[in-house]
Amino acid sequence: MKNDAGAVPGSVFVVTKEDLGEWVGRLQADADVIAPHLTPWGDEEFRTVSDPGAILWDFVNPLDPPKRFFLPQTEPLARITRDRDGFRVEEVHDERPRVFLNLRSCDLKGLLYLRKMHATDLPDETFLRRFDSFTLVSLACSKPCPLGFCVCCDAGPFLREGFDLQLTDLGSTVLAECGSAKGRGLLEAGDGLFRPATPADVERRQELETLALRSFGEETCHFGSAMRRISTRRVDGSLWTAMAPWCLECGGCNLACPTCYCFSVKDLPSAAWEDQPETADDASSACWTRCRIWDSCQYSAFTMEASGHNPRDAKEERMKRRFFHKVSAQYYQKDGLLGCVGCGRCVQVCLGTTDMPAVVEAVRKGKWEGGRP
Amino acid sequence: MSALLVPRVARILDRRDETHDTMTFGLRFREDGEHRAFTFRPGQFLELSVFGVGEAPFCLASSPTRPERIEVTVRRCGQVTDALHTLGPGDEVGLRGPCGNGFDVESVAGKDLLFVAGGIGLPPLRGLIWNVLDRREEFGRVTILYGSRTPSDLVYKEELRAWGDAEGVELRTTVDRGEPGWEGNVGMVPVLFDQVELRPGSTTAFVCGPPIMIKFVVQDLLMRGFGEDRVMSTLERMMQCGVGKCNHCCVGHRYLCRDGPVFSYAQIKEMWE
Repeated sequence: MKNDAGAVPGSVFVVTKEDLGEWVGRLQADADVIAPHLTPWGDEEFRTVSDPGAILWDFVNPLDPPKRFFLPQTEPLARITRDRDGFRVEEVHDERPRVFLNLRSCDLKGLLYLRKMHATDLPDETFLRRFDSFTLVSLACSKPCPLGFCVCCDAGPFLREGFDLQLTDLGSTVLAECGSAKGRGLLEAGDGLFRPATPADVERRQELETLALRSFGEETCHFGSAMRRISTRRVDGSLWTAMAPWCLECGGCNLACPTCYCFSVKDLPSAAWEDQPETADDASSACWTRCRIWDSCQYSAFTMEASGHNPRDAKEERMKRRFFHKVSAQYYQKDGLLGCVGCGRCVQVCLGTTDMPAVVEAVRKGKWEGGRP
Repeated sequence: MSALLVPRVARILDRRDETHDTMTFGLRFREDGEHRAFTFRPGQFLELSVFGVGEAPFCLASSPTRPERIEVTVRRCGQVTDALHTLGPGDEVGLRGPCGNGFDVESVAGKDLLFVAGGIGLPPLRGLIWNVLDRREEFGRVTILYGSRTPSDLVYKEELRAWGDAEGVELRTTVDRGEPGWEGNVGMVPVLFDQVELRPGSTTAFVCGPPIMIKFVVQDLLMRGFGEDRVMSTLERMMQCGVGKCNHCCVGHRYLCRDGPVFSYAQIKEMWE
């Protein structure tokens, strides 16, 4: 790419696959690069990579979604120490520059959902400072993944916006669509490796998107009528009662969901942390780390009050809650986004088969047929 | 902008026993500037941390008209409250807030006010009552009805006397079960409705207490002609963040901690999921 060619948002470039390693190497000079790689035991996983050659460019989306890099399962919010003058509370922020490579479209959409939830109304600075230290590069999906239904959620297989850079695998080359100034920065780091895309490159990308869209089969999820029913109290209580015994209350759907972010706040002894704060004047002084910790609306203790009263003690009430939050028009109007990006992880993780497509179908048809075979 | 979930340090000024398991704590932010910058409405709440133990929401029991100290009244019923009850003057805690919407005091200026509280439900109304009494000429008649399980469960006993003696304030108390020496009313709070002159047309009612008490009181008030938008109450759920993020206290698409905890009965009626 020539700098004067001007990689403005909306502009499109191409890099050969041979040059990808060189490009990633240059990105690593200024930032951690997080990308999918294959673990020694054969699972796809997102992690900080040192060897650009280990990055996967053709992969099934990892079961563990990328949200833990933006919203860690246990996230330090503040260090609490005590000295002669009393308690000291210091905010903790993580703003290391990071590039997240090869996010699938659904996951990128999930991250945008998370950002919106933490930015609207009262902005959560801890989250936003960490999130905004990332540059997000998505890799468009040229074929549907086995369990995905992003096409029903406006979350793929290709994205129109929201990415800093969107890549498309064209075979021997990779096409890069610039979506922001941050994305332009990544292209500039690849100076000499990228060339402006030709009309033929762009046409090929469009073909791939059309092909991908046509390849979705029956495994889709019809939110429209489910949303109408859930939002207007037209789901009979007996339906939730019928589905509830199938849910094992493991919380796996919440943990694997790219858009779930319910949390609790706890003080953990700082000794439990590897990076001991250096601020404590006295090694024996009390020291805790206030942490945000993932929680699950499917656990009965989630709504348990100190008095012992629990408004959602019944499992069906908790299931109903989960799907109201994800699929109701009330939330859709409030948030402007559906709470599901169609990644299919809940389908993969739920042993009880009360996953998003199954429950949406049950709500739509008004009857539960016992999940998938 | 400071981090949303990070508290500031405050000191306990003093503490006072209310009942065998309930105490009122006087608090002040350690940094004077932080204390002066702290403004709130009655009915809002604080997230109070006992460092190393945890954080929990407590209603502001003091009045904005008396800003020199912040007061919370706390019943011992869990980890944070157990730990808080072991602390005393000079000890430090963390505070975040104010959180929630609070009562709209200005909208009831010139109106008659009816306060109906049950048990530990009086603290959220106490801030509002002092706010009203400190600006007495701006409001109409004030009626306070307060019930608890037993005479020893009544909180703010000294203040109840002061309110009863105040000009233009009618105060009635009742207990579910009497004790030796108790010569007052016995029965649930609604028994007091027939002892006072209720003027549904000109009165806004503020109801706070255990859910079952709120239910009966609100039904009674509606039957007596109070409009659904003139019966105000506070709702409770398990709260964690207090700032509308963590999803613990949601009812439908509303956060009780952010859209509430104060709602009119007309609003409560529309809440479902």
